[in-house]
Amino acid sequence: MPGYIARRIGGLLFIWFVAVLISFAALQFVPGDPILVLLSDQSGDAALEARLRADYGLDRSLPLQFIDYIGSIADGSFGLSYRFAGREVIEIIEGGMWITPLLAITALVIAVPLGVFLGIAAATRAGQLADTAIILLLVCGISIPNFALATTLVWLLSIKAGLLPVAGWGSFSQMILPVVVLTVPPVAYIARLTRSYMLEVFEKDYIRTARAKGVRDRLVVWRHALRNTLVPLLTSIGIIFGGLLSGSFVVETIFNIPGLGRIAIESIFARDYPVTMSVVLLFTVFYSLINLAVDLSYALIDPRIRLQGQSA
Amino acid sequence: MTTAAISRSDFWLRFSHSKNAVIGAIIVTIVTLAAIFAPVLAPQDPGKVSILFTWEPPGDRYTLGADALGRDVLSRLVWGARVSLLVAFSVLSITLVIGVTLGMIAAWSRGWPDSLIMRTVDVVFAFPEVIIALLIAAVLGPGTLTVIVALSMVWWPGIARMTRSLVLSLREELFVEAAVACGTPPWKIMWKHFLPNIISPLIVRASIGVGFIIMAEATLSFLGIGVQEPMPTWGGMIRDGLPELRSDPHLALAASASLGITMIGFNLLGDGLRDVLDPKGAR
Repeated sequence: MPGYIARRIGGLLFIWFVAVLISFAALQFVPGDPILVLLSDQSGDAALEARLRADYGLDRSLPLQFIDYIGSIADGSFGLSYRFAGREVIEIIEGGMWITPLLAITALVIAVPLGVFLGIAAATRAGQLADTAIILLLVCGISIPNFALATTLVWLLSIKAGLLPVAGWGSFSQMILPVVVLTVPPVAYIARLTRSYMLEVFEKDYIRTARAKGVRDRLVVWRHALRNTLVPLLTSIGIIFGGLLSGSFVVETIFNIPGLGRIAIESIFARDYPVTMSVVLLFTVFYSLINLAVDLSYALIDPRIRLQGQSA
Repeated sequence: MTTAAISRSDFWLRFSHSKNAVIGAIIVTIVTLAAIFAPVLAPQDPGKVSILFTWEPPGDRYTLGADALGRDVLSRLVWGARVSLLVAFSVLSITLVIGVTLGMIAAWSRGWPDSLIMRTVDVVFAFPEVIIALLIAAVLGPGTLTVIVALSMVWWPGIARMTRSLVLSLREELFVEAAVACGTPPWKIMWKHFLPNIISPLIVRASIGVGFIIMAEATLSFLGIGVQEPMPTWGGMIRDGLPELRSDPHLALAASASLGITMIGFNLLGDGLRDVLDPKGAR
């Protein structure tokens, strides 16, 4: 196990390095000269231009700039904004840094049990009307894009029924619609997986044995079958979390939530690329940490995984 | 893994018995026809601005009303299907060519090209999809090219990985050994022996992929970093209609419904094809 953990953490650090490298390269390739943009009206002022260039470290050689870039990430400032002269990127993004993970984790915490429950409900009624109804619901849940769903829900619940606020951030009632919109696709995805895993497990010998022993139906499902379903489900948590991060861009834009997703989109239009790249880095870190946690817990459960590749 | 090809009549028999596949195929056919014949079907020019009819509610003149610039919503929906499918078709073609080629090379060589290709795949997989799109949008600027490049970047590794694993098991087969023994060049083995044997899982993958790509394109266009005005896109129409939800809900809702139904169609067709072509691969 320690060897496996070391390998995985090595892989994680490599991915982070690649992410830093790519985001630095992207900053070199983005169109326009940030200093000229900052100067705007004062573009004739050579002294000011030289000072800004020095402040931003853009007068240094590329390798030195890269070292500066790593340093700015290490000290948590993430460099200087191209939009607000002299302001550190962290000042712009720190407000949103907790909102996006909070939304994603809330959605995940709701989606997993709900999805598993729906999946079991469908699997135990396979072929019946309830199963068909649930499957139909799941197809819709997976198919309908989150912004189309959000638009429809805002129209129905906020505008027509007046039950919930249209947008905004800060109160509990403002959190309901964003979380619902974020939760629907993962619920559908998890339920679908649970249903098919369950149906597979039901065919297994140990389930037949349990039934033959006279174990009550409910116990067979919730104890014997569910446990063996949860393990493969665990691996899909990473994919689901990735989907939630993408969902945050849409949901934060629609509901006017000042999270990282909206900050990133705004920064692209404002050409404030250091902000865009810092969100790229943060999301990569969130995503890779979740995947690491999933892999480690999976390896803990299943010895075959942690031994894999050891002999090779 | 059973990749044994099923006969044509067998395929249609199984296909017509799958409710998912049939309903999906009907929806997909309608959307595809709308996309192909958009210039004929659309009642008006989707870009025609008429300041006299801004915010026109659905009625005789405009079946589904008009938008903020007085453009016909129905025409824009029909043309939107064309844009969505064109992007999906481009991305799918690019990623199938790149993914299948690299996957085959990886599986055939098994040496450093394999390691290089598969490590690259792992790295791409390590990033959330939306992040790759964001990076490309920053460098290339928002636009149709950005969408196609970004989605191709995201989509090829899955196809490469799938092709590699399919070919790895195929190359142990006797007929491949025979072909090698006869001195058949590798490219010919790949083209004549591997490709026909991996085509059905690829079709399943592609049909599910179209849905994903349409959704992703709509999402990027919705966020404003995708296909740009004046080209009509469903994602863009929803974004433009959103602030008007109180007064003119038909703008955003019509596009939402088109997108939702199209997605359901492609997903049903994908599920159905998977059941028909690759029953073992069904999750």
